[in-house]
Amino acid sequence: MSVRHLVNIIGLLLVFVSIAMAATGLGASFYEDGAASALFASSGITLVVGLLAYSVTRFEGELTTREGYAIVTFAWTTVAVFGALPFLISGTLDSVVPAIFEAMSGFTTTGATVFADVEALPEGILLWRSVTHWLGGMGIIVLAIAILPYVGVGGMQLFRAEVPGPTPERLRPRIAQTAKLLWGVYVGLTGVQIVLYLLGGMSLFDAVNHAFATLATGGFSTKSASLAGFDSAYIHYVTIIFMYIAGVNFALHFRAATGRPEYFRNEEWRFFTMVIVGAGLFLMVSNLMAGTYEFTVAGVEGAFRHGLFQSVAITTTTGFVSADFEMWVPAAQGVLVTLMFVGGMAGSTGGGIKAVRVLVLLRHTASEIRKHLHPRAILMVRVGQRTVREDVLLNILGFVSLYVILVLFGGMLLTFFGMDILTAVGASAASVGNIGPGLGAVGATDNYGWISNPGLVVIVFLMLVGRLEIFTVLLLFHPDTWKRQRARGLSEARAARPRK
Amino acid sequence: MRLVIVVGGGEVGFHLAERLSEETQDVVLIDSSAARAEDVGNRLDIMTVVGNGASLSVLEEAGIRKAKMVLAVTSVDEVNLIVGLAARRLDVEYVAARISSPDYYHRGAVLSGEVLGINLMINPERECARETLELLRSEVATDVASFADGRVRMIGLKVREGARIAGKSLRTLAAELPEHHYATAAIQRGEQTILPRGDDTIEAGDQIYLLSPKDELDDIPQLTGYEPFKLQRVMIAGGSQEGLHIAELLEQTGVEATIIERDRARCLELAEALPKALVLNGDATDLELLEMEGVAGMDAFVASTGNDDTNLLTSLLAKTVGARKVVALIDDFSYLQLIPRLEIDASVSPRLSTVNAILRDVRGEGITSVATLKGIDAEAIEFVAAGGSKIVGKRLDGVHFPPGARLGILIRGEEIIVPQADTEVRAGDHAVAFALPTCIHDLEKLFG
Repeated sequence: MSVRHLVNIIGLLLVFVSIAMAATGLGASFYEDGAASALFASSGITLVVGLLAYSVTRFEGELTTREGYAIVTFAWTTVAVFGALPFLISGTLDSVVPAIFEAMSGFTTTGATVFADVEALPEGILLWRSVTHWLGGMGIIVLAIAILPYVGVGGMQLFRAEVPGPTPERLRPRIAQTAKLLWGVYVGLTGVQIVLYLLGGMSLFDAVNHAFATLATGGFSTKSASLAGFDSAYIHYVTIIFMYIAGVNFALHFRAATGRPEYFRNEEWRFFTMVIVGAGLFLMVSNLMAGTYEFTVAGVEGAFRHGLFQSVAITTTTGFVSADFEMWVPAAQGVLVTLMFVGGMAGSTGGGIKAVRVLVLLRHTASEIRKHLHPRAILMVRVGQRTVREDVLLNILGFVSLYVILVLFGGMLLTFFGMDILTAVGASAASVGNIGPGLGAVGATDNYGWISNPGLVVIVFLMLVGRLEIFTVLLLFHPDTWKRQRARGLSEARAARPRK
Repeated sequence: MRLVIVVGGGEVGFHLAERLSEETQDVVLIDSSAARAEDVGNRLDIMTVVGNGASLSVLEEAGIRKAKMVLAVTSVDEVNLIVGLAARRLDVEYVAARISSPDYYHRGAVLSGEVLGINLMINPERECARETLELLRSEVATDVASFADGRVRMIGLKVREGARIAGKSLRTLAAELPEHHYATAAIQRGEQTILPRGDDTIEAGDQIYLLSPKDELDDIPQLTGYEPFKLQRVMIAGGSQEGLHIAELLEQTGVEATIIERDRARCLELAEALPKALVLNGDATDLELLEMEGVAGMDAFVASTGNDDTNLLTSLLAKTVGARKVVALIDDFSYLQLIPRLEIDASVSPRLSTVNAILRDVRGEGITSVATLKGIDAEAIEFVAAGGSKIVGKRLDGVHFPPGARLGILIRGEEIIVPQADTEVRAGDHAVAFALPTCIHDLEKLFG
């Protein structure tokens, strides 16, 4: 573990964050709400710290795998701390923990907020929240890899630690090119969504904020009522489509954009789509049967739209709300809670367990049952044409178990601070899955502002662990990570070599 | 005199050489082992050359400049390919190569047979699997072969006790079944092979060879005393290359396949290659395993372990515990003679099916298709009657047929005709005939 590497890269990322803050400040200066100066001030502080960290250390040699994981975890933590500055300096929040909570919720694309009245916030702060989503969605480190060529060495270590899914795909031989292409698709889709929102009569400010939050599968809105605050079927459908797009593997979008669409050939995509559409229709029918929506043309359309919206919003872990689903029948809520665990596809901006892992788990379960009927059978778990290698299978099974344990453990910790069981487990599941709205007192129309500081700290941790897919963070708690590597002497020697 | 050069003196090469030399072709066989070459030379009336068939000097010694045909059938794909290429360069008219690896014959292979100018690329394991599947499709068949692009099938089967056709003469049957176009080509009764005429009768227990239009095949089981049969579940004992190909073909046709293989590593390969079939790690002769996996309820059982002894044993086991149709892959020609006496419904010889496939492709002018029957010493051959040949334009009772040959069925355009005494053969008719090997040349003269 080389602290110099760590500090060096984190310093660099802070420079990034500072640029993002300054850009947000520029945007905010169109609104005379006083937030622009707070953003510029935060940008200044972040820049100074970042440059200092960057200049006193040097990045030499190569990154080891464990350094990669450590850097990603510490980087995310540091970025969230500095991302909290605008909230504090502008005075919208006056204590540190809720501010860090808000920033972490933004960067991890969770979308849980401590603000009860979002409309009362200055525009600059609202925009900053959306920018944190947008940076965190595709990954701030992936962005750094895309822009800075020198991170390319050992970049795969960082890339793997940040990009969701069991085995990240490369679109090009070089990791920096891959990162560039992914960000390119991301920026392009964001642009398209903004235009579509504008065509639907949304204000530019709302359009930008919601597009940032949608493509990142975040969930912050400029309205307390979230998307329910926009009484437009068109805007709801645009949001449904783009939440769905954000939940799909961006490598698939890239291939489609370059004329080789292979969505249908991808089994994870078929599964993901089937789950969303199936659950959406179930929600629609259950709501119609329960009388939540009337049997008129408008009622059926509403049931369809809100059913699909909530199915997509929860499965992709965006967490937007178009209707108060806590008023829906228990069966509908049961389905939504289950969807919280599915998550987006691997390689998307969505959180959760990820569709491919759920698919592998289901296949594995089926093959275990078959194995009981045929004890001598040699069975392979397949996804698409490919068989899942045994080590990958074990990793996935381990991940899913750990995920569930983490949700329960997090829920238990939250009950220590006086939360009721439903709220605690709901908040835990919504945080680990980076969804946002949970159950009970943190449900669709509620916020996290009432939770005590220790409770918020727990949730911050859960959000981070969820976004970085558990192992990346938990690795740091293993003593081996901090032991000297035997090969250290070698890498040290390599690092000491004069640079070409 | 134009030569036929066979490269590779293994089972396939040996039997090719044997059959070709019996049919009065001049055969030179090349094998790298002197002992093997000598052995083959002693047993067959052919010339042998010792050496690497891929070497030009060896090919020249064998007389490749005078060869009309080169058949490369060593067990090594690459050698066969090189021999094929060399033969092509030396302007040999017809070149066949035995190729087992899918890398060379699959769609998308860099060097397909067409590109290389090789007339026939043949994969023995695939041929065998294809033949096995044909056998599996019908419960009754012990042999199957296709003629006239599959429009006419030959099927060998055992007539059961109480069958509708048992005890009747062919003449009576023709009168009883006017809507059918079956031709009984041969009857095997005990040791005796009969090429039947109208007065001959079919008895229960006879092994008969029928020619039938494809769309009338379905009525045969009922006429010969069998229940209707639909192939739904098949157990394959042994994950040899043949077994794998059979399972693949079954998967493609939607039949449930269970495949048993002893070697765990091979099981993993099989499971990787077969998304639907159930792969079991175990011994094909483990009766407990077979019963646990429901061998008794299987529509068919195929023994394809790659070992003749094991295949015989496990087939007998499967039949005893109730598998409906049991097919054994048997390569040893002396075992093949044994099959009709055992409780095994049918057998396929991987090598023989390759030999047949090559012979089918290489036969000269008039002949287009040949099937060698395992149980009896006769062949089914498809001829095309050439204009001006001896058989054309005469009533059949006026044609002098060789005593060891029978005309089975005539195909004239779309029409399928069971020939009678007054039938006239026209130029361009396809005819499927049965003949003992010694009579094939006389038959060829009739049609040529």
